[in-house]
Formats: sequence, C-alpha cells, structure tokens
Amino acid sequence: MDGSRLVKEFTKGLWKEIPPFRFVLGLCPTLACTTTVRDGFGMGLCLTFVLVCSNILISLLRKVIPSQVRIPCFIVVVATFVIIVELVTQAYFYSLYMALGIFIPLIVVNCIPLGRAEAFASKNEVIYSLADGLGMGLGFTCSLTALAIFREVFGKGTFLYHHIMWSGFEPFAFLQKPPGAFVCLGLMLGIMNLIGSGEK
Amino acid sequence: MEVLSATIYPMLVMGGLAAIYALGLGIASKVFYVYVDPRIGQVEELLGGANCGGCGYAGCSDCAAAIVEGKAPVNACVAVGPDKWEAIAKILGKTVEAGERKVAHIMCRGDRQKAKRRFQYMGIEDCRAAALVSGGDKECQYGCLGLGTCVKNCPFGALSMGENGIPVVDRDKCTGCGTCTRVCPRGVPKLIPESQKIATVCNSHDGPPVVKKLCEVGCLGCGVCKKVCPEKAITIENNLSVVDPSKCTLCGKCIEKCPTGAIQQILPA
Amino acid sequence: MEQEVWTFSDYIMLVVSGVLVNNILLIRFLGNCPFLGVSKKMDTAVGMTFGVIFVLTCTGPITWFVEHYLLEKFDIVYLETLAFILTIAVFVQLVEMVIKKVSPALYRGLGIYLPLITTNCCILGTCFYNIRFKFGFMPTVVFSFASALGFGLALIIMAGIRERFHYARIPKCFQDTSIGLITAGLIGLSFFAFAGLAK
Repeated sequence: MDGSRLVKEFTKGLWKEIPPFRFVLGLCPTLACTTTVRDGFGMGLCLTFVLVCSNILISLLRKVIPSQVRIPCFIVVVATFVIIVELVTQAYFYSLYMALGIFIPLIVVNCIPLGRAEAFASKNEVIYSLADGLGMGLGFTCSLTALAIFREVFGKGTFLYHHIMWSGFEPFAFLQKPPGAFVCLGLMLGIMNLIGSGEK
Repeated sequence: MEVLSATIYPMLVMGGLAAIYALGLGIASKVFYVYVDPRIGQVEELLGGANCGGCGYAGCSDCAAAIVEGKAPVNACVAVGPDKWEAIAKILGKTVEAGERKVAHIMCRGDRQKAKRRFQYMGIEDCRAAALVSGGDKECQYGCLGLGTCVKNCPFGALSMGENGIPVVDRDKCTGCGTCTRVCPRGVPKLIPESQKIATVCNSHDGPPVVKKLCEVGCLGCGVCKKVCPEKAITIENNLSVVDPSKCTLCGKCIEKCPTGAIQQILPA
Repeated sequence: MEQEVWTFSDYIMLVVSGVLVNNILLIRFLGNCPFLGVSKKMDTAVGMTFGVIFVLTCTGPITWFVEHYLLEKFDIVYLETLAFILTIAVFVQLVEMVIKKVSPALYRGLGIYLPLITTNCCILGTCFYNIRFKFGFMPTVVFSFASALGFGLALIIMAGIRERFHYARIPKCFQDTSIGLITAGLIGLSFFAFAGLAK
C-alpha cells in the first residue's frame, strides 16, 4: 500500500478534480438540491456514502465481472446502495427525505458513481478506490454546501434556518428559484476557472 | 413466514425479472446480429481521431469503414504520417505508395500596412462574416481578412495569428488536412508540398493595373518571373504566378526580379 | 394531479404543464449532463431530442407496468429504483440492437445517443414522477411524451444560442460550460412567464 498514492487519490477529489466544478459531472443534484444548506450538505453526504460503498464493492468484484456486462453490473451495485440510502433517510431523516424528493433515487443515474466505477474502481485496488470515492464525495459535498450557503444566505436570508441577515434585508428570491440555480452555478464555475487558470 | 416473504420473494422476483431481461437480450443479440468487420476497429485506432474531415469523410469511423471496404485509399487520412499508413496497409494486406506530406501556407502578405482598406469593420470577428459585408473591408477581393477564422478552426492548433494580422502556420503541427482552406471565405491558405521552398505568396487574380492600386506586395501577374526563370518552372495562371516546385532549382532569379516581392523564399535553403 | 376521470382538456393541460410550465430540464432540473454536452451543435441536439422522445414515451408506460403489476403485487415497492433502471437499461440496449440491424442510417444519426440516454436523469426522473403523481396509464403516456418534448425544446433553444457563441467574445474563464449554465438560467427565466398557466 503506497501511502503517498493514497493521499494523492484522496486529495485530487478535493480540489484538482472536484466535481462538479472541474469534473463537470453530477449537475442535476447540484442545481436541484442546494436551496438550503441542510439539503446541499445532506445530498452530498448521501452521494458520498453511495460512491464509497459502490467503489469498494466494484473494486472487490473487478476481476469477476465480465467486460460486456460491466455497465449493467455497475448500475445494479450503485442502485443497491441508493436504495439503502433512500430507506435510511426515509426512516431517520424524514424532513431531508421529503426535501430532496426524487433526487435521492436519482443518484443511481448520477454520472459520478457510474463514472468513477468505470474509470477508477474497476481498474484499481480496494484501498485506492475507497480513497478516490471518499475524496470525490467530500469534494462534491463541499461544492454543494458552498453553493447552498450562497443560495440560502442571499436568497432567503437564513443559514440553516436561522435568520442571519439584517432586518431590512430583502432576499434575492431569484437565487432560490431554478433559473437562479443555473446562473449561480455558472458564475461559480467561471470564478473557479479564473482561480484555476491563475494557478497555472 | 414474514422473514421468508421479506427476503425470498424480492430475490425471486428481481432475479426472475433479471433472468427474463437477460434471456430477452441474449435472444435479441442473436436475432439482430450485425457483422462488423473487426478490421474497421483496428484501422480506426490508427487514424488521427480528430474528425477533421481532411479525408473527405464525415469522421474517423466513416473513413475507417471506407478504407476497409476499399472505397478509400490506404493513405486517405492526411492527419497521420506514412508510418501509420504502412500499419493500415499491413492490416489490409495492401501496399502504400509513398507520397509527400503537404502543409498549409497562408498565401497573402497584405497586412494592415501594405494592403488598403475600404472601411473599418466592427462586427463579428469571423472572416466569413466580414466577407459578407460588402465583400470585406480589404480593397483586394482575394486577400486575407485577418480575423482568424482559420486559426480558430484548425483541429490541430497549427495556426496562430501573426503580429501583423496574417496567420502563421506551425509546420510541426500542420497535418495538411485542409480545414483552413475550406473555412476561409477566400481560400487564402493553400496546401503545398512540404519541401517547396519558393512560392508566390499571393492569392490575387486581379490584373496589374488593379493590384498596383490595392496592395504593395501583391502579385501583379506581370510575368517577369516567368521570363527570367531558367527552368521554366513558373507559369502565369489567370494573372497569378504559380511556381512548380518539381522544376525549381532555387536559383532565386525570380525573387530578385519581382517588382512587388510577391514571390518569396518560404523555407530556408 | 390525482384525478379519477381525465378529459381531453386535462390532457392538453398536462402537455402544457410538462412542456412549458414545469419544463423537465429548466424547472425540474432533470437531464442537465447531456444538456450541456450535446447542445453545442444543432444536429446533435436534434438527434438527442428524437432519441429521448422515443425512449421516454416507451419506458414511461413500461415502468408503469412494472410498478403496478410486479412491484405492488409482491409488495417490494422499495426496489423501484433498481427495477426501473434495469428496465430502462435493457430497453435501450434492445432498441440499439434493433436499430443497428434494421436501419444503419438511423443508427448513425440516433444510435450513438442511446447509451447516453440510459443514464439521463430525465428518463428515470419522469418514470418516478409518473408514480409520485399517481397517474393512470394514459396520463403516464401523455406526461412522458410531454416531458420529453419539453426536454427537446429546451435543448434545441440552447443549441441555437450556443452555436452563436462561437463568434462572441466570451472571457476565457466563462467559456463552454459556465456560459452555458448562465444561458440556461436565463432561458429558464423566460419560461417563468408560463407559470400559473397550468398546475
């Protein structure tokens, strides 16, 4: 087990290849589930759980799955963990479940778990797949939370449902609505590109 | 009993569903079987992969299919070199004739100082758009408009805009695919053999009295180069001189005698 | 949207709702990944649109059958996600095989989008919505078709606009995806004009 490689696989998901900004994948939940910080953070964690578990299982099974049927197999593995997440949130985090709605089961067609399964987990050992999944998942959670903070604070005037803006503040309701989500994400992506190009 | 129904039934139902699907797909794959020549995939891997269209086909997959079927020659893909052509020929059991690589060259020297402009164009930064506005802002109807359409469309990044508004070709990256020639509204970039050292860097078919007024460095079509060439390598076609590289000996007499400097040595000797 | 009896005008309202008022892509956020990838050129956008319309109009009713006649009968509705995605993947694979054999020309135009459509959230999402909104069989068919139409509409509008970006002077950091998202937001804003037209 190569320690430095482990760290590399983990940290790449946190900045260099962070979804959805650098790896433009998984846009649907990014836009839909970031109206409040709780939703964004919750969705990120759900996806992280699915990603880590499916990466581990697929990496364990990578020598066994035949190449022609690998995509359906990956889908079935991801779907299994998605159903687990769905049932757990329905049981223990009901308000989050109601807020996220159909986007929890839609994690199964999210490009991130399938993409990482295809590109990484099916070709690497378990420990590196775990690091990759954890890094990407946490990176995704951070992105979602950042976007959600912006949308909730300026779009609603609250943070985790506590009013934090001054009393006369008129929230930008536009940010809470679907078009606002697109524009906000587009601007954030542009700024990330600007920062990224500055690094080079 | 409940444990049984909670665990066995779902497994049976989902397993049954999956089995039906698998059976259905298995049968369908036999019924709807399409034979794909495996050589097409092998050839496609050797091709450029840029889908540049230089071969004349819609994409690399189309070109590969055409080569395997025999509709296209083995060296149809201009984007890759002779070593790839030989590999393709080996797969198909054919031989490939050696041909010289072609590269693009921008046949215009009329930049902002040397060529006259009719008006100041402030529109979409695309030569095709500019050419539609009263025939372009340059007086010369054949000249390079300098807005960089060829630069933007080169699939290999071989073109860059020069300081004076005329694009420059990077010969290392140019594959001779011809995309620049096709997108230019005036056909200013031309494909010439890689080894050609002397060429007429002008695209104008206007006669001497017209060219003199429009551009300091355009080819007048006066024919002096044709007269002084000892090998008879130069011809005048439609008021534009054309150098035949197979006959040219690099004596340089044409370059000395050209009144405007339209004939240039484009490669060091 | 629970109703016992559906009149023709109800169906019209359903179509208006699916295409304009609650556009599956711009308002319901489903189908964004291919949206930004395929909308760069008009011909790819049109190919994708026809693919989605065909697949969604077929898989909507098929998954409805799976839900009501299989999952409910055996009380395993919680396996909905798995059953649906399997059904969609198998259907798309089957269609791809058939098209490849029957019409190579159609396969060239449409076939390459089919694997992309399998993981399109708009297909699975609409199938889920059909169940959540408790639609009967006919409303399922109409809603699936309307959603696909809405997806296609947004995609084609986007492709038309993005083709012109080629000539615009966009700052380097905003090119490609970033400006695409901002444009999508602005198009979505214009779709807001339809709000209130139907439920």
